[in-house]
Amino acid sequence: MVRKLDDIFNECYERIRSGESLESCLKSYPEHAAQLEPLLRTTLDIGRRASYIQPRPEFKHWSLVRLEGEQHYNHISQQRQPAKPGRFSLRQSWAIAVAAVLIVLLTGGGTVIASSNAMPDDPLYPVKLATEEARLTFAVTDAQKAQVHIQLAETRAVEVETMANEGKTDQAAITAERFAEELEKASLAIANVESAMGTALPSTTTTEPTLTEPQPPTPEEGPPAPPATVTDEQPPKEPTTPPATVTDEQPPKEPTTPPATVTDEQPTPSKDSKWDKWAARRALFKKSIDESASKSLKALENAKEKSSPQTKEEWQRAIDKIWEKGQEREPDKNGTWEWKRDWNKDGNTPTPVWPGQPSTQNGNKTWNGGESNTFDPSQNQPYPSR
Amino acid sequence: MLSEEHLVQKAVNGDQAAFTQLYNQNFDRIHRYIYVKVRSQAEAEDLTQDVFIKALESISSYKWRDLPFAAWLFRIAHNRVIDHVRKQSKEKRASLDEAYAKSVEDPIQMTERNFEVYQLKEAMEKLPEAQREVATLRFISQLSIAEVAKTLGKSEGTVKALQFNATASLRKTLHGKING
Repeated sequence: MVRKLDDIFNECYERIRSGESLESCLKSYPEHAAQLEPLLRTTLDIGRRASYIQPRPEFKHWSLVRLEGEQHYNHISQQRQPAKPGRFSLRQSWAIAVAAVLIVLLTGGGTVIASSNAMPDDPLYPVKLATEEARLTFAVTDAQKAQVHIQLAETRAVEVETMANEGKTDQAAITAERFAEELEKASLAIANVESAMGTALPSTTTTEPTLTEPQPPTPEEGPPAPPATVTDEQPPKEPTTPPATVTDEQPPKEPTTPPATVTDEQPTPSKDSKWDKWAARRALFKKSIDESASKSLKALENAKEKSSPQTKEEWQRAIDKIWEKGQEREPDKNGTWEWKRDWNKDGNTPTPVWPGQPSTQNGNKTWNGGESNTFDPSQNQPYPSR
Repeated sequence: MLSEEHLVQKAVNGDQAAFTQLYNQNFDRIHRYIYVKVRSQAEAEDLTQDVFIKALESISSYKWRDLPFAAWLFRIAHNRVIDHVRKQSKEKRASLDEAYAKSVEDPIQMTERNFEVYQLKEAMEKLPEAQREVATLRFISQLSIAEVAKTLGKSEGTVKALQFNATASLRKTLHGKING
């Protein structure tokens, strides 16, 4: 049986791909050599040109990062378990930090800067997440961590709002989950700060912390200054005066007066000052969180309203993710403060509330009845007494 | 070292490292396949990423006995490119400015390589669709005859004939340009 020329050509092409020379292959078929040679040379020429087509290394890398992120979330959703903290494991965090620094050094920061406004459906979004992970790696103290988590929660809130407005259910749900994680982590970091303050000896005085670089909340120094991105204002010069952004609704009547009857053991003046400063900062944190949560919930509710009956349930799940983290929790016996849910389910304007604030509406969807934004230390307990 | 079938089975069972290995094995050739079919680097990158995300989403339902993994992956890429191209206007797709080979530091060499890639894309576009598909999978993405046949749902004999004719056409186009 006579072999067809296309079959012989294919055999020679395979042999050349395997490392055999063109000449050697042609010797096997001298009767077809004249026809085969130009065709086989053409395949070599095509292969050479095709070898010039290479993906950009950074694209290949970040594409894999994104894919691993998808794998991570798919894995979680398949197991129907609560999301683990963060997109990356702790073991990876230092590697991510180093990678982020290297990217900044190698690219002049262009990729990182370009990624700063990336949304969850953007190719550069993994770069943004990696950069955030790097920031967290460099936040050493609980106060610094709280500050970063709150800033990240603000970022997530903007993303949730954008995804919801664009009707992207999946991305909104994933981002809502990330937002809820940031709330939880911020809450934990703040609880740690207050736990440390509560057990501290109030006697020693030291230098005030700087305004721009938060310091660890040592007993002597108290907590660091409020973050600029949360307040957009400088913290008060007088430590006992709450900042304008906290009290613009109605400033405290007597912010320096400690509550007279709440505890048997009165705080010393020095410690009062520290607590007042911390209370002011905490209020800013809380206000930021409440506004972010309200904004996200409102956008999700609007998206749910406009959605088809098939996707309403998915939008509700995204809403619930944020709500779960807003569940009200009482301060523990040490006075450790935790976030309270004081945004309502319709995403209305939040109402700042202090722990221990008298309320007959605990458990209701709106704290403080949604009527007053007043912070009045003469009536309420602005900080846990020791 | 794991056989590909074993590796794929691990990925099907949810092994993330196995999927990552398959990604590394196939990424470049999927990217090359897409690159010669679309207009720009950006499109090629978007589509390449889409292919692997789609593969990740569907891997749990993949069965080796139905289709080799490479054929399955290239089918996803093929379908994704078809969807994409349908949405595009029928303007000329090859673009010299977008050609690759950017890792070469010598600017003259880089320009020459870019031009050669551009010529290749142009020559591929002139082929009839069936020949172009076979030539792309075979010469650009380096699939075996069996894999190409499975990907396209054709017999190996048909693929060999298409490959032969495509090569003859490409020779005319490319040699005409190179050697005058």
